[in-house]
Amino acid sequence: MEIEISLAAEPLFQIGPLTFTNSMLTSILVGLALVIGSLVLYRRGWNLVPGRFQALVEMGMEFIYNLCVATAGKKIGRRIFPLVGTFFIFILMANWGGIYPGHGSITLHNFEGHEVPLFRPANSDLNTTAAMALVSILAVQVLSINVKGIGGYIKGFFEPISIVSIILAPVHLIGEFSHLLSLSLRLFGNIFAGEVVTVVMFFLVPYVVPFAFLGLEMLFGFIQAMIFTVLSISYMALATAKHD
Amino acid sequence: MEIGGPEAVKVMGGMTMLFGSVAPAVAIGWVVREAMKSIGRNPECAGDIRTTMILGAGLCEAVAIYVLLIAIILSLVA
Repeated sequence: MEIEISLAAEPLFQIGPLTFTNSMLTSILVGLALVIGSLVLYRRGWNLVPGRFQALVEMGMEFIYNLCVATAGKKIGRRIFPLVGTFFIFILMANWGGIYPGHGSITLHNFEGHEVPLFRPANSDLNTTAAMALVSILAVQVLSINVKGIGGYIKGFFEPISIVSIILAPVHLIGEFSHLLSLSLRLFGNIFAGEVVTVVMFFLVPYVVPFAFLGLEMLFGFIQAMIFTVLSISYMALATAKHD
Repeated sequence: MEIGGPEAVKVMGGMTMLFGSVAPAVAIGWVVREAMKSIGRNPECAGDIRTTMILGAGLCEAVAIYVLLIAIILSLVA
């Protein structure tokens, strides 16, 4: 019996020219669950004196809000809080949703004739993480142009004004692209490698040992969500900082 | 096993991981060592220092993950 590990997400079916992969399905399910969950909570309303669940949610929100405001200052922090909060909650739920039993083993006979797993963690596909990193870096550039004006934005690339700042400006520009690359590859590599290790462990010793690896994957899922969020906040704070 | 053949590529995948995980391990050890020193010096700020240490360790670990991706691609996919 052999295990099959594929770097690209396996396609499930095709609608016209669009190929629908299993990580797309998991992303949609996670998004739907989050939207429906927040609508249900909205309808229930909130009390001034919070109950236990409301206190938990408020703790999470305050954690990210304090991160934003402590790093980026009050004005910018309040502006970027919705975007980075959404990143954090989506990445956290998508990573933690890859743990329940039956995750890799419910398979489907797809249109190409192979037998592929029906669910795959949403961030173990480079498309998802690259899309999120692209949104984050674009938000950094747009925020920077909004705060500093387009003249200030271009001047920011030459910022430590010196003899060699003309030569260092392309390096700064390439640095922005490297942020994009590192954000997406870090999240993808962690979750994909965690998935590979978990699959191999389940194949080798199916009974007690995989608990440790599932726990490890939960821990790393949380850490990676936090790192993505904190790095996004740091990039935005750096891009809008005023040099004196 | 011939040079450049399919089995040699798998061995190369293993050796990539061998050499590439030295630097991130050393870096994470340094980060944690300095964090422990600062907690010893200033035990009130232990929470802040702990959070920053986890963040720094995660960034160093990302380099090891890049190497792991190359190793996985070499040994399983190519």
